[in-house]
Amino acid sequence: MEVRAGETVALLGTNGNGKSTLMKCIMGMLRPQSGRIVATIEGETHDLTHLTTEEIVDRGVALVPEGRRLFPKLTVEENLFLGAFRSTARAALQRNLDYCYEIFPRLRERRSQLAGSMSGGEQQMLALARALMSAPKILLIDEPSVGLAPVLVQRTIDKIREMKEQNQLTVLMAEQNFTQAIRIADCGYVIVHGKIAFDGKSPEELNNNELIRKFYLGL
Amino acid sequence: MFGLLVNAIVAGLLLGGFYAAVSVGLALSFGMLDIANLAHPAFIILGSFIVYTLNIDFGVDPVVAGVLALPFFYVLGSAIYQIYYYSFERRGEEALRGLAFFFGILFITEVALILIFGVDYRFVTAPYIGPSLYIGNAELPLRMLVPFMVSIVMVGLLQLFLSKTFIGRAILAVSQDDLALKLMSIRPQRIKNIAFAISIATASLAGACLIIIQPVEPSIGRDYIGRVFAIVVLGGMGSFPGMLTAAMLIGVMESLTATFYGPSWSPAVAFGFLLLTLAIRPAGLMGR
Repeated sequence: MEVRAGETVALLGTNGNGKSTLMKCIMGMLRPQSGRIVATIEGETHDLTHLTTEEIVDRGVALVPEGRRLFPKLTVEENLFLGAFRSTARAALQRNLDYCYEIFPRLRERRSQLAGSMSGGEQQMLALARALMSAPKILLIDEPSVGLAPVLVQRTIDKIREMKEQNQLTVLMAEQNFTQAIRIADCGYVIVHGKIAFDGKSPEELNNNELIRKFYLGL
Repeated sequence: MFGLLVNAIVAGLLLGGFYAAVSVGLALSFGMLDIANLAHPAFIILGSFIVYTLNIDFGVDPVVAGVLALPFFYVLGSAIYQIYYYSFERRGEEALRGLAFFFGILFITEVALILIFGVDYRFVTAPYIGPSLYIGNAELPLRMLVPFMVSIVMVGLLQLFLSKTFIGRAILAVSQDDLALKLMSIRPQRIKNIAFAISIATASLAGACLIIIQPVEPSIGRDYIGRVFAIVVLGGMGSFPGMLTAAMLIGVMESLTATFYGPSWSPAVAFGFLLLTLAIRPAGLMGR
C-alpha cells in the first residue's frame, strides 16, 4: 500500500476490518507481525517499523485518534499548546495557533473552556486542530465522522480538505462514510479482513467498483 | 474581643501559608500524578533535619539551607519515582502496593532520623525567630511571616511553571491520557519523573519552614499526614489556587477554633468543613 506525497487517501472498510489497526501500526502503537512501514519526509526516508510513537510523531507524522483522545480536564488552548510540544512545532506555535483559530473560529470562542465539556463536533474540531499544532507533514485521521450529525460530518470533511490544501499535508483518512470520504479523496483502498481488497486510483474508480457497490453500499 | 478575632485570623492566614508549603508537593504528586505519596511528611522532616544540620554546624540561614538542599531532594525524588515506576506503576499494581511502598518509606525515614538524631526536639536559630511585626493591634511573628512568604513565592513559581511551560502543561495532562501524550511526542514517564522530583524538592523548603516555626523531632510528620491530604482534596485535585485557598481556610479555622474553643477542637472543625465541602462540591473548592 502506498500514500503519495500531497495526496488525500481514503482507507475504506466497515467495522472490524483493520483500519484502526493499520493506523496504530503506522504510529508505533502496535507492532506489525510482518512487513515494513517507511515514510519519506522532506527528502529523508525513515523506517517507522521499530520506532516508538513519540519518535514517529517527532518526525512529522500526526494521528487524530479514534475517540479523539482529548485531555478533557484541560482547556481548549491548553490542549492546543500540548499539540505543539515537539521542538519543530514550538518554533511555529503562535502562527499555527492563529491558523487553527482562523479555520476553527469556534475554538477561539471556547479557548478557556474545558475540552471535556464541548459538543462532539467541537471536540472533533479540537482533535484536528491539536494534531495540526504539531506541524505534521503526514496526517492520519481515524474515523473523523464517528458520532457526528450528518451536517457536521460534511463540515468536518470540508475542513480536512481545507487544512490539507493550506498546509501541503499528505492525508490518510480511515472512514466508514464512503460518500463523504471520496468527496475529498484522490484515491482509496478498500480493506476487507485486514487485506487490501481493492486499490482505487480515483474517486470514480472507487464509485464504480463492484465490490464496494455490493458489500459496502449494499446496492 | 475584636482584637482577639483579628489576631486569630492573621495567625490563621500565616499558618495557612505554611500549610500550603507542606501541601504543595502532595498537590503535585497526589493531585496531578495520582501517586498517593504517604511519605511526603517524612521527606519534610528529613528536610527539617538537613536544614538543622546546615544551620547548627555551618551557620547557614534556614531558608538558604532549604534552597541549597533543593537539588538533593530533586534527585532523591527522581530516584524514588524510578523505583516506584519499575516496581509498581509499569505493571499497573500501584494502587495498593504503591501505598505500602510509601508507608515503608515513611517508617524507614523516620527510624533512620531517630538513629541519627535521636528523639529530642531540635530547633534552628535565625534573626527572625523571636521578634514580631505589629500592624495596628495585629501581631505578625516573623517566625510565621518568613515561612508564609517562602511558601507564597514557592507556590507562585510552581503555578507559573505549570501554566507557562511545555513541561508544566504536560504535567497537568499526564494523569488524563497516556496515549494522547505519546501522540504529542511526550513521554509520560519522563513527565511524571520530573513532576514527582519537583514534588519531593518542595519538601526541602517546607522542611525549612517547619523547623523555623516549631522545634522538630523525627516522628512529628505524622501530625501532618491527615492535614495535607485534607488540604489537597479540599482544594480540588490538580489545582494549586484551590490548594492555597484550602490551606488558608484550614489555617484560619484551626486558629479561630483554638482561640475561642481550645486547640483540641481544631482538627475536628477542619475535617468537618472538609466533609461538608465534599458533600456539596465533590470536586473540591476549585477542582476541574
